[in-house]
Amino acid sequence: MRNPRTGWLLLSPTLIILIIFGFAPFLYVLFVGFNQWNVFSAEDGLIFNGLDNFRRLVFDEDFLHSVGLTLRFAIFAIGSQIVLGFLLAQMLTRNFPGKSIFRVIHTLPLMVAPIAVGAIWRLLVIPGFGPVPFFLDRWFDFDYRIGTYPDQAMLTSVIMDVWHWTPFVTLTMLAGLSAIPREPVEQAKVDGANRLQVFWYVTLPFLRPVLLTTVFIRIMDAIRTVDEVWMLAGGGPGTRFTGIYIWRVVFPRTDYGYGSSISIITLYLTIVLCWLLFIAISGKSKDEVE
Amino acid sequence: MTTSTQQRIGRFFTTYGIWIFMTVLTLLPIWWMFVVSMRTRVELFARPNLALSRLWLENYSNVLTDSTFQRYMTNSLVVSTGNALLVMVLALLATYALSRYKLAGRDNIFFWLITNRMAPPAAFLLPLFIMFTRTFRIEEITIFDVTLVQGWTLYDTQIGLILLYCVFNLPFAIWLLKGVIDGIPIELDDAAMIDGAGLLGVLRYVILPLSAPGLAVTAILSWIFAWNEYLFAANLTSVNARTITTALAEFVTVTGTNWGELAAMSMITLIPSAIIVILAQRYIVMGLTFGAVKE
Amino acid sequence: MKKLFTIVLLLAFALLANMSLVTADHHGWWAEAAAPYAGTTIRGVSESTPPSNYVADVLAPLFTEYTGINVEFETTSWDQMYSKAINDMEANTGIYDFVYIEQDIIYSYLAQDYLVNLTQAAADHPDLAFADYDEAAFTSFADYFKNADGDLFGVPMEAFVKVYLYRKDLFENADIQAAFEADYGYPLTPAETFEQYRDNAEFFTGYGEGMDMDLWGTTVQGSTGHPASTYEFLESIGPSFGLYNWGINLETGSAQSANGGALDGDTAVEALSYWVGLLPFAPPEATSSTWDEVASSFAAGRAAQGWVYGENAAWIATDETRSAITGNVGVRLPVTAPGVIEDAEMGNGYIGYYDGGAFGIPHSSRNKEATLLWLQFIGQPSVQAEWAAAGARITHTATFDDPLIAEQDTKVDGYYTLLEEQGPLFAGAPPFPFHAQVREIIDPFIHRVILGELTAAEGLSQAAAAVDEELARLGYGG
Repeated sequence: MRNPRTGWLLLSPTLIILIIFGFAPFLYVLFVGFNQWNVFSAEDGLIFNGLDNFRRLVFDEDFLHSVGLTLRFAIFAIGSQIVLGFLLAQMLTRNFPGKSIFRVIHTLPLMVAPIAVGAIWRLLVIPGFGPVPFFLDRWFDFDYRIGTYPDQAMLTSVIMDVWHWTPFVTLTMLAGLSAIPREPVEQAKVDGANRLQVFWYVTLPFLRPVLLTTVFIRIMDAIRTVDEVWMLAGGGPGTRFTGIYIWRVVFPRTDYGYGSSISIITLYLTIVLCWLLFIAISGKSKDEVE
Repeated sequence: MTTSTQQRIGRFFTTYGIWIFMTVLTLLPIWWMFVVSMRTRVELFARPNLALSRLWLENYSNVLTDSTFQRYMTNSLVVSTGNALLVMVLALLATYALSRYKLAGRDNIFFWLITNRMAPPAAFLLPLFIMFTRTFRIEEITIFDVTLVQGWTLYDTQIGLILLYCVFNLPFAIWLLKGVIDGIPIELDDAAMIDGAGLLGVLRYVILPLSAPGLAVTAILSWIFAWNEYLFAANLTSVNARTITTALAEFVTVTGTNWGELAAMSMITLIPSAIIVILAQRYIVMGLTFGAVKE
Repeated sequence: MKKLFTIVLLLAFALLANMSLVTADHHGWWAEAAAPYAGTTIRGVSESTPPSNYVADVLAPLFTEYTGINVEFETTSWDQMYSKAINDMEANTGIYDFVYIEQDIIYSYLAQDYLVNLTQAAADHPDLAFADYDEAAFTSFADYFKNADGDLFGVPMEAFVKVYLYRKDLFENADIQAAFEADYGYPLTPAETFEQYRDNAEFFTGYGEGMDMDLWGTTVQGSTGHPASTYEFLESIGPSFGLYNWGINLETGSAQSANGGALDGDTAVEALSYWVGLLPFAPPEATSSTWDEVASSFAAGRAAQGWVYGENAAWIATDETRSAITGNVGVRLPVTAPGVIEDAEMGNGYIGYYDGGAFGIPHSSRNKEATLLWLQFIGQPSVQAEWAAAGARITHTATFDDPLIAEQDTKVDGYYTLLEEQGPLFAGAPPFPFHAQVREIIDPFIHRVILGELTAAEGLSQAAAAVDEELARLGYGG
């Protein structure tokens, strides 16, 4: 009854667009990654150099450092977003007057363009015009300068990301929570489970697909983050994430060959990370079917 | 009796206490952006003061009366709306295909679709630039001595951005819709087909109504992602198709950043998306379940 | 309503004034020369700065009126400007007919043969050569857009020097002067030596603290997330200590002193230690400050003295909508170590960066002739003074004598006179075909020295080694 050919036909526009604008550039980047190519070098054009670029990046401290920073950023930011987003969503499942107003306000950061987010946070935290360092200094005598202390720069970008993306997590969690059937929760309560037990044994298993999917999406986006951190701190110490490092190698340095090979490796690492999560998600849904 | 009242009052205060606290935290940066947009450049560098001293609208009038700004705004609206519609249609078709048809390597295709969103954008700009300026180039089309097109390229066009943004919006949309469409019982399709509906009929009368919240959320989020995109827009457009986010970056110059106008423009760009989200609040939550609603 | 009317009136006057810029008999010449190109559109890319905006808003419409050639301007941010122009020229796509060439990137462009030789082009097209346009009439800044044969590749658009600015209201205050003399045993004056500069910085930082003012002793362009800090060190602080050409020896292709370079030499270490040593006397935003933020800090009155790019000097001194210290700005030559001025006068060195940019024509342009007319149009003497007044930039020798500039000059404490007389002491960037590449390599080390993770000596010796590695990779090594 269902001819696969019809299926392919329905899928084809999507495949065509993604192959042209996604896969073809990927092949180009992959190819360049195996060449030495800097526009401003003494020799013109691409020179095939095999795995040299990849060998170079294994010993490139700046690159390795940037990967470490990116992972740390992703873990801190996404971890906080999940916890915070879950708690807020939990509170939104209850009814109380004014709920929709709070919900709308809480969704606002999601609407702000990343580049504007970076600009706002820069305006908040740079001494001289930012209120944050001013009041921290005045009230707590705390020296807050993201240009001087890399850890503060890192922390600020985490907070900025939490501010920007927690609303998204809250919304998906809320959707997940509202879809949990009532009976198992009631049943567990009747059986004498306390709130923590209900959460652990009933809510969490139901929420798992949504939770993992949210984490998956956030990881993909957090690893690619460029605009907002660029605007906030320019990718200085503490915030030189892989996305920004690649940008610097490809543009000001015009080292297309090396930049391409770093991109390929970063993409590969992201895919591996996400594949593991993907297996976790689809593995779970198989259990449910059985 | 009294204890339960006390409990209720306590709960009332915790709920509102937490929400008011969260609201302040959420709004503080936006409020500060608003305050900055109401300040002159001299005032901005005086001691930081979170209070709004006066309504001073020159930053807004400067931005709004600028004809380039109006063009950028139009471009952004066209690109995001076009992209959201395209993504919605393509994703619906693709997801339906992935959900209902036994296609060889279905799971792998699905995963590959998603990986398109993972690429670090910087290195991909160069091939895209070459593609936009060279591959998609029409030197001349002349019919009966009338030159219709001359030296057209995909570079610096709205359609170029609309197509390109599919690369990161389609994976997201398909993923989101996958759960929704998987959740619609296949028996409904079959029943409609027995009643004589063709493929389009099934899509139109079964899938579309039942996946409406999911589709709405797909469209809204695609719209927002497209509206907010900067890097591709900055590099693949020149004068005609530039979007509003690229205009934000232009305020940072060697002779000083015009923070006031930057903030004013950020406030203005916030308005359309905020309106859409307020109108569509309900659907967003209904549509974001990623397949958790399976009964 | 009344305000709107005034604005309209002012605009009308401005337009009228501009109409009269070019005399009527030239009108015919432009129309005739441009006749074959009338109706075409030429496109360029530039940053959104006052001089560029003047070109886009005033000169471009005027040119269109004279010639029928349309000029389209794309404005972008500083980072974007490079990558967009380079992508276009490298891929030979022909999007831009003229590009903004920041002085420091010119030698990279020349090495890749991106640009049209303007001297040659004018000679090849005598019918397109405008009589009043004279390459020799540009200031010495134009020398930094020439190749070895002296041919010009860009029409200078804006030019500035990084000067020493100080707050006159503080330096000339009798109480402050007395307090300074009591502490240091000599009178307070704008700094002439590095020791004095440091004393001033220390004194005003203490003074600001004591008076609970938001005042520090000096600016430092020390952003740890931006190349601006490397530029301040390599182009301003370094040269004024006697470290020239970034300490890179082009002959040996090395930055290491063991190999003829000087980036890790004693002068460089002394200069960097001195500069980083100023951080405690700089406002807290110094480690986040790029060029524009240094100017903003200074304009807000947060620093008593500092190195500030010349494009900002005029607005800091005169624009009340942006600056809190108008009328109180003193302008001097930057401080130099003994012997550096002499080096510069002999042509063996320079005291700082002659900063600015020009418009050039990429080979990929498809409207070279029309663009050649346009570049001569903006390079002609009669449009220079108004443009200088609007954008605080001077590239043409005739501009200095204009009454408009003479009047401005007193308001900015003789900045234009300084530019005219001492301008030749400054120099453009070293003739490196690998400018941005090597600067990117040096950046992280300078940033780490600013953060205190490395000492100046460690940072520079690691930087010099990394530079050598990159030079070898690029094929410019020894």
